[in-house]
Amino acid sequence: MDVAEIISHHILDHDWGLSLGGWRLPITTHSVTIFVVSVLLLVGLVYISRARASRSGRLLTTLAESYITFVRDSLVLPNMGAEGRGFLPYFCTLFLFILSINLAGMIPEMKTATSNISVTAALAICSGGVILYSGLKYHGIIGFLKGFVPSGTPVWLVPLIFPLEIISTIIKVCVLAIRLFANMLSGHMVLLCLLLIIFIVGKMHIAAGAGALLPAMVLEIFMTCLELLVAFLQAYVFTLLTAIFAGSVIHTH
Amino acid sequence: MEDLLKPDYGVMILTICNFLLLVYLLKRFAWNGLIGALEKREEKVASDVKQAADDRQTAEKLKQELEERLSQISTEASKKMAEAVKLGQAQRAELLAQTQEQAKRLLDQTKAQLEAEKNQALAEVRNEIVRTAVLAAEKVVREQISTQAANEAVDRVLAEIEKK
Repeated sequence: MDVAEIISHHILDHDWGLSLGGWRLPITTHSVTIFVVSVLLLVGLVYISRARASRSGRLLTTLAESYITFVRDSLVLPNMGAEGRGFLPYFCTLFLFILSINLAGMIPEMKTATSNISVTAALAICSGGVILYSGLKYHGIIGFLKGFVPSGTPVWLVPLIFPLEIISTIIKVCVLAIRLFANMLSGHMVLLCLLLIIFIVGKMHIAAGAGALLPAMVLEIFMTCLELLVAFLQAYVFTLLTAIFAGSVIHTH
Repeated sequence: MEDLLKPDYGVMILTICNFLLLVYLLKRFAWNGLIGALEKREEKVASDVKQAADDRQTAEKLKQELEERLSQISTEASKKMAEAVKLGQAQRAELLAQTQEQAKRLLDQTKAQLEAEKNQALAEVRNEIVRTAVLAAEKVVREQISTQAANEAVDRVLAEIEKK
């Protein structure tokens, strides 16, 4: 098994090969990870929202409220204004969901599902839907489409600007997916490469492999810390950009 | 490695359904409760802060009013004190004048009374002397001494008394 195969094996999604009535069921390692994370989030947050009686329950509720305040005051309201209040549950879920999936890769036997383009594309499609819904809700179809033409644009330039703006919005949504996917994938690839250094050098000579152990492990620990930071950062960036794009659609030029 | 960029539409649809269902369930069973409680508490805090600010404003207004009132009372007290002092001084001067006048009147009265009593005493003494002299004269006349000689003798005696 060469290095590329090892990396592919650890990063790529694995289909469990289940089917129902001749239809292939998308039960893969990543989809199972997402399901487990979703169930844990659901059970945990429902418990927190109802556990006010005990002291630990109050502490968890306070933490959850601090989190909501952070999402509302740092991400939603500055970018979407008061209109964003209705979308607060979506953004609270989005940030926590991406963060949990990013961090799930740190747990042995679990995978970082956000290193799968299909998963990040699904999240980007949901964010695109929120952006579209925001525009339609506050401006109607005509107003929403008018928003794609900046005010003061000469009439003869409208046929050129309008499709460009629509493509620009679609690209923004696609970039959301690619950014998250690339960042999470690259982090895991670097971690795997650093581990593989030990085995590759060890194949050349056992002493060299032992010598490479310490620097490789130091780099591995450093990269793991960096991965933790990237997990938080990417969840933040994805949520923030969704809020900015939705806000730009609500508050047009 | 090329599989990395190959989208799995099944996983994509499953993820979308999973995520949207999670958003709905969390909104229904967790976020609404948490956000509602948070907003309620924030409203209460904002209301308490506003109430505290209003109370503070009212207290400051009251304090200002009280200070003004205190200053007014102090001014009035000073004014009344000055008036009282002035009135007291006037009354003192009046009482002093009355007392002095009364004392003078009493002194004059006493002097006049003493003078009258002195004159009365002198008249009584004179009459007594006259009576004594008359009695003496009668004795003398009886002993053949004229009345004229008797008067001269009396005048001489009176002149000597007055000299004394």
